[in-house]
Amino acid sequence: MRAERNVWALVSGVFLTILLFASAYRVQEWDQVIITQFGKPVGGPITAAGLHFKLPLIQRIWRFDKRILNWDANPNQIPTKDKKYIWVDTTARWRMTDPLLFLQTVQTEENARSRLDGIIEAATRDIISNYNLVEAVRNSDSIIAKVKLKRDMATRGELPPGEEEGIGEIEPIVLGREKLSEMIIEKARAGLKELGIQIIDVQLRRIAYEASVESKVFERMISERQRIAQKIRSVGLGEQSKIRGKITRDLQQIESEAYKRSETLRGAADATAIRNYAAAMNSDPEFYEFLRTLEAYKKALPADTRLILSADSEFLELLKKK
Amino acid sequence: MPEPWEDPEEEIKDLLDSVRSRFKNPLHLPSAAIFVAAASAFMALALLTSVYTVKPEEKAVILRLGRYAGTKGPGLHVRVPFGIDQLFKVATETIHQEEFGFRSGGDSNEPFVGHRLTPQEESAMLTGDLNVAEVGWIVQYKISDPRKYLFNTRERIKNMRDVSQSVLRRVVGDREVSEALTTGRVEIAEEAHRLTQEVLDRYDMGVKIVTIKLQDANPPESVKPAFNEVNAAKQEQEKAINQAEREYNQVIPEARGKAEQLVRDAEGYAMAVVNRSQGDASRFKNMLSAYRTAPSVTKTRLHREALEELYGRFKEVIIVDKNVNGLLPIYQGLQAPAGEKR
Repeated sequence: MRAERNVWALVSGVFLTILLFASAYRVQEWDQVIITQFGKPVGGPITAAGLHFKLPLIQRIWRFDKRILNWDANPNQIPTKDKKYIWVDTTARWRMTDPLLFLQTVQTEENARSRLDGIIEAATRDIISNYNLVEAVRNSDSIIAKVKLKRDMATRGELPPGEEEGIGEIEPIVLGREKLSEMIIEKARAGLKELGIQIIDVQLRRIAYEASVESKVFERMISERQRIAQKIRSVGLGEQSKIRGKITRDLQQIESEAYKRSETLRGAADATAIRNYAAAMNSDPEFYEFLRTLEAYKKALPADTRLILSADSEFLELLKKK
Repeated sequence: MPEPWEDPEEEIKDLLDSVRSRFKNPLHLPSAAIFVAAASAFMALALLTSVYTVKPEEKAVILRLGRYAGTKGPGLHVRVPFGIDQLFKVATETIHQEEFGFRSGGDSNEPFVGHRLTPQEESAMLTGDLNVAEVGWIVQYKISDPRKYLFNTRERIKNMRDVSQSVLRRVVGDREVSEALTTGRVEIAEEAHRLTQEVLDRYDMGVKIVTIKLQDANPPESVKPAFNEVNAAKQEQEKAINQAEREYNQVIPEARGKAEQLVRDAEGYAMAVVNRSQGDASRFKNMLSAYRTAPSVTKTRLHREALEELYGRFKEVIIVDKNVNGLLPIYQGLQAPAGEKR
């Protein structure tokens, strides 16, 4: 019968479609898939994106992300080796590199995260508490060189305006921030490998003073700034005195040099004059004396003079002289 | 006799009849027409869902049954419908911006969705001299490779925020607080840019940082007055130095001028003395050479001439005996006699 055939065709068509949908699955570019048959993994992980098939009903797919994933720590209060209480807030990047192992050990991303919490936080605590605070703050000793340079400039008085000289000693570091991160990764790596997880990096996102420490730090900052301000002021006054001293010195120098030059000039000129006169006089000293005496009296006696002479005055002699 | 409903043959017949009546259209249309209508509706639906546009600033990444099947630029495109081609649009030309340590939309101090740190917590960081600075900054980035952006990392923005914070703290951690707040800002931003890009490249997440800019950089609120005091001290320093410089400029140039004058005076004197001596000498020599032609006559003449001139000037001439002393009281109150040689 034709009608009956149609019905059978329809039913089988529906059945086949259901079968197809139950056996075909899509693997996205960022997926990796594990197939299990009655709970037992079959074959390796499927990572190639595209359409794949499995046995319907009896095989089950487990889908995992193969991209880099994030992990955030719960911020932790950790004492450093130099007994400073700080908040350490880390974040990590990780990926599932062995989905089969991942499936066997933690099954879900949520479980994985809580395992990451335990492992990375413990590693962070171990590393941070074994080193001084500066190791987690700084990455190099470049700051020490810079501070030294500025200090040298300040002692030579060449510190450019706007710059200020630091105060206090800066502790050198042994390892530094990046190295500590690496050590945390190293420590966490072994434990995570057993879970099929690869850890890519651990970033010390935030390191902050604990609240009670913070106020003390602020107090220290304030006193440090005040010391710096005081120093700047006294440097200013020192510079002022230096310039004032320079005024006195330059003034003395200028005046005395001018005096020296002027006296030298005068002396040289006087000497020349003396030589000139002497040279002239020497040719006839007697005549010169005669002329000079006449000249002197002419110059010395103003008009309307009352002249009182002793009888033996030389001047009288002169007047009498023919 | 079995009941009619117990007859399986009858049962099936009924069922088939009802199915057949279903398929027989109630509107008495020919079955071909139904098929055409259904097919065209299906086609229309397919056509509608297969056409899509990509905006100028976007790129569309196509996954066909989950597998990467190309990236399409802006414009009108066609895809395989019914979920076979999946479409992921990524704004590759837009410059995206993330803010740290502040929120430009109002003064809210709430963490971003999915982030635990408040802006205030983001901004506070330790400097190399173990001081605290509060720094706000922005990161601007572009999605340089949409495929990597989609396929290599899952929480991309969070990645970037985490890395940027870590890197900026690292860069500031290697500097003094004064440098972080004032002179070192550009350098810090540049170094943070370089290092952040390095880390993101390690994730290969298809993001390129355009710029990192430091916004506010302040000391913590309670420490601010002390920082201001340092600034005031700098001003005072400058003022003190300027004042001394002013004094210097007031005194020294004048002294230099006076010194110059002293020297010039001396030069004038020197010239005058020398010239005068030369003049006198040359006059004397000339007179002498003339005198030598007739010494006696000239001497007498000169003497007479001088006496003439001198006598003309005297009001009176008093000659006293050389043994007289104590004459002067008589003339007390008068002008002292001039030119007397004793």
